[in-house]
Amino acid sequence: MSTTHDDENTKSYLEVNPGWRNWLVTLDHKRIGMMYLFGILGALLLGGFFALLVRAELFMPGLTFVGKDWYNKFFTLHGAVMVFLVIIPGIPAALGNMILPIQLGAPDVAFPRLNLASFYLWCAGATLLLLAVVLGGVDTGWTFYTPYSLQSQTAVLPAVLGAFLLGFSSIFTGLNFLVTIHKFRPAKMGWFQMPLNVWALYATALMQVLATPVLGITLLLLFVERFIGIGVFDPTLGGDPVLFQHFFWFYSHPAVYIMILPAMGVVSELMTVFCRKPIFGYRFIAYSSVSLALLSFLVWGHHMFVSGQSRLANMVFSALTFSVGIPSAIKVFNWASTLYKGDIRLQTPMLYALSFLILFTIGGLTGIFLAILSVDVQLHDTYFVVAHFHYVMMGSALVAFLGGLHYWWPKVSGRMYPERLGQYCAVGVFVGFNLTFLPQFVMGSRGMPRRYWDYDPEYWHYHQASTIGAFILGISLFIVVCYMMWSFKNGKKASQNPWGGTTLEWSAPTPPTLYNFPEPPELHELYVYDDLVEDEANGNWVRKPASGSRPAGGH
Amino acid sequence: MSQAQHDAHDGHGDHGSPFIQHHFDDGQHQFDTGKLGIWFFLVQEILFFSALFVAYILYRNHHPEIFAYAHHYLDVKWGAINTAVLIVSSLTAAWSVRAAQLNQQKLLVGLLAATIACAFGFLGIKYVEYTHKIHEGILFGNRFDPCVSSGGEALPNKKNHCHGVKSSVVWDAKTKAAAKGCLEGDFDQDPAMARIQASCEVAEVTFQGTGAKRVEQSRRSIVACDTTPLEGKTGWAARRPRAASSASPCWELINNPWVCPKGPAAMVYYGDHAARGHQIEIEVANCKAAPKPTEPTDVFGDVVRPGGPGQATYVRHEPVSKHELALEVSNGPPPPHTNMFFSIYFAMTGLHGLHVLMGIFVYIWLLIRATKGQFGPAYFGPVDYAALYWHLVDLIWIFLFPLLYLIH
Repeated sequence: MSTTHDDENTKSYLEVNPGWRNWLVTLDHKRIGMMYLFGILGALLLGGFFALLVRAELFMPGLTFVGKDWYNKFFTLHGAVMVFLVIIPGIPAALGNMILPIQLGAPDVAFPRLNLASFYLWCAGATLLLLAVVLGGVDTGWTFYTPYSLQSQTAVLPAVLGAFLLGFSSIFTGLNFLVTIHKFRPAKMGWFQMPLNVWALYATALMQVLATPVLGITLLLLFVERFIGIGVFDPTLGGDPVLFQHFFWFYSHPAVYIMILPAMGVVSELMTVFCRKPIFGYRFIAYSSVSLALLSFLVWGHHMFVSGQSRLANMVFSALTFSVGIPSAIKVFNWASTLYKGDIRLQTPMLYALSFLILFTIGGLTGIFLAILSVDVQLHDTYFVVAHFHYVMMGSALVAFLGGLHYWWPKVSGRMYPERLGQYCAVGVFVGFNLTFLPQFVMGSRGMPRRYWDYDPEYWHYHQASTIGAFILGISLFIVVCYMMWSFKNGKKASQNPWGGTTLEWSAPTPPTLYNFPEPPELHELYVYDDLVEDEANGNWVRKPASGSRPAGGH
Repeated sequence: MSQAQHDAHDGHGDHGSPFIQHHFDDGQHQFDTGKLGIWFFLVQEILFFSALFVAYILYRNHHPEIFAYAHHYLDVKWGAINTAVLIVSSLTAAWSVRAAQLNQQKLLVGLLAATIACAFGFLGIKYVEYTHKIHEGILFGNRFDPCVSSGGEALPNKKNHCHGVKSSVVWDAKTKAAAKGCLEGDFDQDPAMARIQASCEVAEVTFQGTGAKRVEQSRRSIVACDTTPLEGKTGWAARRPRAASSASPCWELINNPWVCPKGPAAMVYYGDHAARGHQIEIEVANCKAAPKPTEPTDVFGDVVRPGGPGQATYVRHEPVSKHELALEVSNGPPPPHTNMFFSIYFAMTGLHGLHVLMGIFVYIWLLIRATKGQFGPAYFGPVDYAALYWHLVDLIWIFLFPLLYLIH
């Protein structure tokens, strides 16, 4: 990089080395995170577009404005784009890349070139998925179950190859974060003085490194099977199609925790800052993050209760699935306790955090319903499952992503988003989301199967409500993306610490300089807000001069 | 860990090597970080291979007869040589780290080159093994169509590319025309025969040996045929054999256990007429069911007699050692779905081979850097990390070799 010595410490990372060519070969984690953010928001709109096509088709029974084959392709592409391009990379790649090193007081992640490689892999995977769209789409469902995925005449090969590359993007990001957290903390920041966001990203990274390779080999085998007929999953050649399901879900179950854990980390940060009090049960949240990561490897069979597993296996997986709900519940209790007697400020990030609390409770509890064997036999492959996972993936993970995006936006862009509009859109997202998915619980329990383009007239009103909600949700999200882009150039300039946070990123300049901190930051007690006061004039929170010694470190 | 903050940005020289990056405190910090990074990478590599090991375990458990039969196809000699080659390369890789630490530049370059040479040796041997298998039709999935049984006996082979093939027959217009008049009633007149003829594939004719013996050994050639059930079975089966006219390839239809399960079989038999003569018998037959054994037997041919209530006892026909049993099994045709063994074999050794290839690229890069003198006591991280990766590649082979080549 050809920066002068002064530039590094005075210019923001956005201004130093300008030009798109410099951005494309940057090693700066903040620039990489920003590029990821743009890509991910674009993919969000694309996946959302496919979702609206699906919901529009379902607005009336029997109305086929897309055709049956295209319907299959739209729900497949919606799933694949959202899972692989938006939600799994989501918080770690965009927000984590931008914020993690700063929260650790570090100048960058451990392996900046690997970070850039991860981004290139994301781009390559996205390109291949787009190629699959252009070549006529894929209709196997995002789960690519065999034997249909071996026989389907659609563009399965580019889609599978794209997902394979995206898997490696995820693995390298996780590896980078694990090593960064181990090796780049300041001396005074022990494990229990780390922000909870960092704990969450650590647990996520553990899963990314341990689980994603299994998806990698599964997709590679599927690719090779379609390409040269290697025959591991093809029953006509003696292979086992259910083995594919085992391999697939061995990754994909931890994958859903890869989606939710960073979201929980963000919510922990938001709760404490916007209640102006320390998080309740810091150690419990830290331990539950890691235990969630480890337990998540044990429950994949709950996706296969009706795939012919033995009764014993079903019972074991059901019991383990109950236990995996416990760490999540611990966190919900802790957040609710943080709210109690807090000085709650209902700015946009907090609205998203509160939405998360409600929607995650619903999503998590309905997951427990599905863990009950006898219930799951009825509800498997119905809209109940669809509603459950949208509550956790979208209502929780995506909502937390939006909360984190609004929270850290001032820091990484140097601009404020429009607050009033942000609050309206947060409400729009909440209302639209619930209108879309609450009816789906009801119709699922009444037998409406998933992935169907047509249905009996008894479900009509539920589908109508759901479609209307989807459009409200889609419009709100679209407005969010628009005003964020607008604010990049036109938003009000942001102060150094607009929310009064205590974590290290709020000690960095806004936006940060190239290596984040012109001078090494001072470590303050985590989540203690007593000596922060708001300067009303410019919305900046500053520390009162310290009176007497304060013990460093956390609880 | 000191404050992870980059202080005076006054060039790289103070770190002792130009390859210490900005964001590290010092060379030790960079080395430790990289070490942790490569270990995490190796963990995920193990998980990458894990699915294949799981598939191996599952298929072996469910179909032990396939594994008992098929592993004889693999040549233990090549596998053992490969094992030795990789172990030597692990030695040179580990030693190269030591050479870098001790600033023994020439030795370092030599050892890196030796590691690459061993890796190429490994891939060379794999090339030999793979081409042999392709040649013999011992492949995965649909392409499993071996020329020989795993004990070495000739087998009928559909694709007609085994050694010693004298000729093949193709259902082309010229051959069809020549075949006219071979049978009572023309093929074209008989819709059943026409359908067989239209859907047949190339016949595998395996001729081995020389002279008059040639033809005798080819009797087991088969052709994959129409699998739809024929109507009018009686008419089909009622055809009488008759002598063929001279100087034309004629069809001989016989039972063959390989094809029979699929339906009526037609065999095309095209030989050296000088040896065979022009008298070709034509037999048309439906597939016969396999003869029922007189006594119930288990997989290994041992007779099962009911013992007391709810009990079975096994009576061996004659004492046979397990080793001989394995060989016996290997002389017949492959059990159904033997292709699965090779699906797993090629997936595992193929993925491993790809990792060896990637290792070669890494070591070539290291070799180039070493010839420029970039490694030394202050900076040898890449040599260390590559050696760790190489040890993992070696370790995976050390698991693959016994699992695939050695155990019954």
